[in-house]
Amino acid sequence: MEHEEMSLFPGLSRRDFLKTCGALAGLIGLSGPMAVPKVAEALEQLAKRPAVVWSLFQECLGCSVNLLQSRKPAPANLILQQISLNYHEAVMAAAGDQAEKSFNDTVNSGDFYYIVEGAIATTPKEAITIHGKTAADIVTSTYKKAKATICIGSCSCYGNIQAAAPNPTGAKGVGDFLRQDAGIPDAVVINSPRCPGNADDTVAILLYVLVNKKLPELDSIGRPKFLFGVTVHDNCERRGHFDNGEFVQVFGDEGSDKGWCLYKVGCKGPVTYAPCPKTRWNGQHGWPVTSGGPCIGCAEPDFWDKLTPFYDKAPGFHIPGDITPAQIGVGLGALTAVGIGAHFIGQAATGRLFKGGPVEGKEEEAGPKEGGK
Amino acid sequence: MTKVVIDPITRIEGHLRITCVVENGKVTDAWNTATLFRGFEIFMKNRDPKGIWQFAQRICGVCPTPHAFNSLKAVETALGVDKVSDSARLVRNMMEACQIGYDHILWFYQLNGFDYVNVPDALNAKAATPGLKAVQDQVKAVVDSGQLGPFANMYWDHPGYKLTPELNLEVTAHYLQALGVQQLANDAATMLGGRYPMIHNYVPGGVVQMPSIETIEFYKSNMAQVKDFIDTVMVPDLLAVAPFYLDLATYGQGVGNFLTWGVLDEKSQDPYDRLFPRGGIFDGKLELQKVDPDQTRQFTKTSYYGDDVGAGKHPLDVGQEPIQFTQLPPIEGEGLPQGKYDWTQATRYGDQNRPMEVGPLAQMLVAYLSGRPEAKTLVDSTLAAVGHAGDPMVLVSNLGRLAARVLKAKINADNALRWADDLLANIGGGDTTVYNELDYSRDGTGKGGWDAPRGALCHYTRIKDGKIDTYAAVPPSNWNLSPRDDSGKRGPVEEALVGTPVVDPAKPLEILRTVHTFDP
Repeated sequence: MEHEEMSLFPGLSRRDFLKTCGALAGLIGLSGPMAVPKVAEALEQLAKRPAVVWSLFQECLGCSVNLLQSRKPAPANLILQQISLNYHEAVMAAAGDQAEKSFNDTVNSGDFYYIVEGAIATTPKEAITIHGKTAADIVTSTYKKAKATICIGSCSCYGNIQAAAPNPTGAKGVGDFLRQDAGIPDAVVINSPRCPGNADDTVAILLYVLVNKKLPELDSIGRPKFLFGVTVHDNCERRGHFDNGEFVQVFGDEGSDKGWCLYKVGCKGPVTYAPCPKTRWNGQHGWPVTSGGPCIGCAEPDFWDKLTPFYDKAPGFHIPGDITPAQIGVGLGALTAVGIGAHFIGQAATGRLFKGGPVEGKEEEAGPKEGGK
Repeated sequence: MTKVVIDPITRIEGHLRITCVVENGKVTDAWNTATLFRGFEIFMKNRDPKGIWQFAQRICGVCPTPHAFNSLKAVETALGVDKVSDSARLVRNMMEACQIGYDHILWFYQLNGFDYVNVPDALNAKAATPGLKAVQDQVKAVVDSGQLGPFANMYWDHPGYKLTPELNLEVTAHYLQALGVQQLANDAATMLGGRYPMIHNYVPGGVVQMPSIETIEFYKSNMAQVKDFIDTVMVPDLLAVAPFYLDLATYGQGVGNFLTWGVLDEKSQDPYDRLFPRGGIFDGKLELQKVDPDQTRQFTKTSYYGDDVGAGKHPLDVGQEPIQFTQLPPIEGEGLPQGKYDWTQATRYGDQNRPMEVGPLAQMLVAYLSGRPEAKTLVDSTLAAVGHAGDPMVLVSNLGRLAARVLKAKINADNALRWADDLLANIGGGDTTVYNELDYSRDGTGKGGWDAPRGALCHYTRIKDGKIDTYAAVPPSNWNLSPRDDSGKRGPVEEALVGTPVVDPAKPLEILRTVHTFDP
């Protein structure tokens, strides 16, 4: 069929191709009548599939496993038709010296995008080696030759779990490592955190770069603003229950069944900037909160240390009357403006506050301690 | 003597180097070196026990769910709780069924496929159907573009590839189809757990909420499709491909000791009563033995830790400190690994410090000897088909490992709907408790013992003053990819490599095959 040959997605009809372009345009924040044609044109003009080198360092492969959950495009189309995945240790056929050849051939061409999954060890650097070379050496030389470097998942962005205190291997994110340890003080990488890295983020960022031929606007910690500009809490489908003071008190209780707010059982949505509630996960079939479990803040740097214990309330975020014993201990009264965060101010500004908003001190704390349904 | 080093071993989770000595066309000695260290047991100390499972599931992004389960179980048993509510058991089984369902499909096609299926040769096939023709066109487009991507630089001209062009094309088509089918299992896991990998619906004491009827029905529908794929595509592929590779039955025997902690709880929540029950087989003898996770011992003379850190101690008494990195074994030249050569500790079982093979072959053999009807029927019919009725040890080879994984995937899928139906029955009967709060003021020592898809997995913990005092995880790769122990005995993969034929040391396809059968 003629129109199939035109498209970079030979398996797709023209109609489905344009639908995919529409979804992709939404992902990268393009809107308006020209959005779909712009994406379609950019994709169709790619005479050569862009080469991608994907390094795995201190990681668990979770980001790659999530990439396999991509829908638009499906992983087979992504890997075979849209990009040329020249090096990815978990996917490629070749091994050993032959894999190393694939890596060197592509990197030496200078015509490739570099994706990194996993952190960089510094003490010792040999805590992660591939073909006898440390991740530290590989990432330094490869960054210099790549057209752009994209860090997928919180490990390559900020070090993530292996950097949790006491960080036994001196693990760092790629950007910090390049700037602090590799003598490249002006290094710029795109950070796409979350644990695991999210397939749609990966596709969106790659596409953004290909369509716009420049890096997206980044926030102060390297995240594309078009993806990471809003807190989980602000987009959460349970936000109405928060505003109404309806909280899960104990897992399995009536509030659990009714899908009430998870703030009191530890949800870190109020202090986490990520698009989870909007873009969801795995073909949009869910996101952490839809399971009834709290957000753990996996898009934030150092969340293993700063946002734990996971089942304690989010630090630095308070709702009226939400007073800890320590605060009472230092003599603050129950209704003074303790810990009024940006969120609280936001609520006041939008007039939501004091219109049935939560006042924790006035609630019954009578949730069952055991045998919750 | 020829030294063959493969680094990286690709199509695995983790980072691995294999060093072999090849003489007269066969491997005569072998060493495995894990080239990644992260230090989980160090940074898991002093954490909150209730949330420690979120750390634990990051040990492996391919199999986070059994790591999560082990962590819950270790904390629960440390705090004096041996069982969860029946509905919590069933939700956890459903999560695990999704995990096993996707994992074994991915392993068979995406991770092992290229060892047996010559993708470029699919272009020489006569495509029998329009669907196969479309796949062939897709492969042709990749080859014609000159950008081979993931197919580049493989040993495609190796004489060890034996399938017909038509079969190469058909399995390549199934490789692409499998990418969609694994999503079905993970979508079900996402409905239950919020996303995959790294789920959110677990908590010590149960699960966070009862799934909705809609979620349960979604799971049933998707897992029925997974079962259909395994029955109509994956099992037939195994039967079609195996006759071309019967030589794989002649090597890769390994250490002859098999261990599984079991997985998928029946109503009793007794590890010996699981769908895949707990058990061990020693010294190649067809006798089922009871096994105890506290008989796990670790040695560190050949790994990058102090010699006396291990020395046959219980995992909780070993830990990962202090790191004592020396140097990587040499790639170039004739030098072979010696002294310390691995980030993995040598893991052994019992008084005799046996190296143990873990994984679906161990799980299937133990299920068979335990008399589980599901395993018995499938294994007996397989043995009869290959002319070895009543002799399951004939499965102990590379080919047996391939077959065992497919059979296990089938048993898992055959039972996946049962957990959901039992959960619906519980809901109908008003038995909807999914969570019981634990008493975190207690001190105690506990352990998991619940296999990952790739084999025996156990987490251990000691809780003191409301915090994790010590944590130890012994994943399947610690068993299969053990280095030599303090007495010089090889680990299971090292042992299985010895005797592996190598037609061309510059293209060590057979070594890749042996290593990949262990699903490292």
